Amino acid sequence: MRLSRIASLAVAVVLVAACSSGAAPGGAPSGSGGAAKTGADIIIGSPISLTGSTSNEGNLSKQGYDMWLSWINEQGGITVDGVKHKVQIKYEDDQSKPDLSAQLMQKLISEGHAQFILGPYGSPATASDAVIAEKNQIPMVEANGAAEAIFNKGYKYTFGVLSPAKKYLAGVIDMAATLTPKPTTVAILSADDNFSVEVAQGVVDYAPTKGMKVVFDQKYPNGSTDVSSLVAQAKATNPDILMNSGHLAEAIAINKAAKDLGLDAKILAYSVGPSTPQFIKALGKDADYVYDGSQWTPQVKYTPSFYLGEADYVKAYKTMFKTQDDPDYHVAESTAACLALQKAIENASSLDPAKVRDALAKLDVMTFFGQIKFDSRGLNIYKPMVVEQIQNGEHHTVYPPDVADKKPEYPTPPWSQR
Amino acid sequence: MSLLAQQLVLAVLLGGVYVAVAVGFSLVWGILNIINLSHGAFIVVGAYITWTLFGRFGIDPFLSLPLDALALFVIGYALQRGLINRVIRAPVFFTLLLTFGVNLAIVNLLLAVFTSDFRSVTPSYAGSGLTLGPVVVPYIRLAAFVIAFVVAGLLSLLLARTRVGAAIQAVASDRDAAQLVGIDLRHTYALTYGIGAACAGVAGGLLSTVQAISPTAGDPYTLQAFVIVVLGGLGSVTATVVGGLLFGFIEVFGQAAPGLGAGYANAIAFAVLVVVLVVRPQGLLGR
Repeated sequence: MRLSRIASLAVAVVLVAACSSGAAPGGAPSGSGGAAKTGADIIIGSPISLTGSTSNEGNLSKQGYDMWLSWINEQGGITVDGVKHKVQIKYEDDQSKPDLSAQLMQKLISEGHAQFILGPYGSPATASDAVIAEKNQIPMVEANGAAEAIFNKGYKYTFGVLSPAKKYLAGVIDMAATLTPKPTTVAILSADDNFSVEVAQGVVDYAPTKGMKVVFDQKYPNGSTDVSSLVAQAKATNPDILMNSGHLAEAIAINKAAKDLGLDAKILAYSVGPSTPQFIKALGKDADYVYDGSQWTPQVKYTPSFYLGEADYVKAYKTMFKTQDDPDYHVAESTAACLALQKAIENASSLDPAKVRDALAKLDVMTFFGQIKFDSRGLNIYKPMVVEQIQNGEHHTVYPPDVADKKPEYPTPPWSQR
Repeated sequence: MSLLAQQLVLAVLLGGVYVAVAVGFSLVWGILNIINLSHGAFIVVGAYITWTLFGRFGIDPFLSLPLDALALFVIGYALQRGLINRVIRAPVFFTLLLTFGVNLAIVNLLLAVFTSDFRSVTPSYAGSGLTLGPVVVPYIRLAAFVIAFVVAGLLSLLLARTRVGAAIQAVASDRDAAQLVGIDLRHTYALTYGIGAACAGVAGGLLSTVQAISPTAGDPYTLQAFVIVVLGGLGSVTATVVGGLLFGFIEVFGQAAPGLGAGYANAIAFAVLVVVLVVRPQGLLGR
């Protein structure tokens, strides 16, 4: 009897002790380190494709987020009104499914108490997650959904740090206008998903302003397994520039079909695909001379106002992930999203979601990724795309000249003379 | 005019690839009455075997085709014997569910082993072809076409001329009677499924040379195989060949339909399917 009373007393004491110690980190700043005060951790949620069809890109995005996370926590966290807050990122695997991504994002907010969101991978998932951000009035900074359709719906809480879809191949057109002999005709093939159609439309609108005529413009169903018929039709128009706005699989298939059918264009440029090492591995020497538009390359030279410069970023990436590979643009743009969120929180001097949203809307910073500044829709239209070319099995930045490390190898020799 | 000739050549060659994609699917459906939703995954496994042998050991993709067939035969035989045979007499819904599950398992296994990177096999002679005036006949596609017909021919011979083929046909027409005359049902089922998987493996090896592959690339092939078999009709290799060639033509000329644009290629393909189903529900050559 007495024993059990003592035992229950002991349990009560332990419980009270546990509760009070548990409450401490969430309460007033503890201020153990003297001048710098520390506050509760900032919790950021991210539904991202760690498995499924875009697991590759999803994991690269996560690497980009983690790069910033380890850096900011080494600095002691984000400073909000003189108080340092360490950061946690809670991930959920959306299995590359846009619907699941939205569900998991809601879960991160309501059960995981995420105060801010870093975006998922891809335009479809970003589009469905933007709805959740809006509903909960939680700012989402995203780096992997470039379709303008996401930003034309009047959402107030979604911000994208990357250049919009319409600009993806505009850089190639700009570059082509500076080359001699100047190419004058463009054939463009495009997948029929939102993003790809926008990229293609960007070319169709932009090329005539640079004195180039679009002689062939066709869309194929997304996920087509054979596009040789379209390449044959494009060949019949004898274009100077052959472009594809689609995905890696189609870029590989189109490059193969162009060689099969002897389509000798002066410029072969594909929106997505050639920037990945897989493109070169899959095609070997046939990958040479191919151009692509890229959000970022490890060679670009910007003058960032905070965080790391390009060279240090590449070095830090190699150390952190124990690899010889350079970080690709998925990694860099994802880190850039974190930087935008960090700067906005600092500028807002508050963790209030609405205030951070307003600070994001006003943000204008230079980072290693380029300028980050949003238009009224939350889209970063201020950063240029760079043009890459594969030369002797390596990626080189060839345009714009002020950030380029090589000149374009032009014109592309005919397939028969390679 | 030269464009039309080029399109015709492409259509015939592509049709050959589709014959390879569908012939194993047709066999399994016709004989075992299983709509094998893991067919696309088998194709991708074959493609990865070819890719691995080419990348690691420099083995020519066409030389690795027999190995694709053998490996997939073993996998198919074991899967049928150990797993699918348990639901062979269950309603079709169960086999759909089970093969769908097998598909998921294979795809995720491939993702774990090979990651979701896209791969492709590009031998040194890729891209060269026979030039007939303005028309190009790419060697790789030509070879794929020939091999597809060799596979279809061998399968046809196997079914018509050998004891094993006779046993398979007997099981298909009346499984109880077949068992009464001493045919080992389980072995024959597994054999049929294994042969179907082997055909898929060869198709995968061929596809790895013309297209980019990834672990999730298989699903469209399952769908294509389904459409081809419905178009051609169940029950014979010839029907699948006709269905495959027809589908090649639909795909190529669907992308070139005047005034419509390539975006309607799928719509045209399925419109043809609907018309065939209305006019000849058993397929063009179905019994």
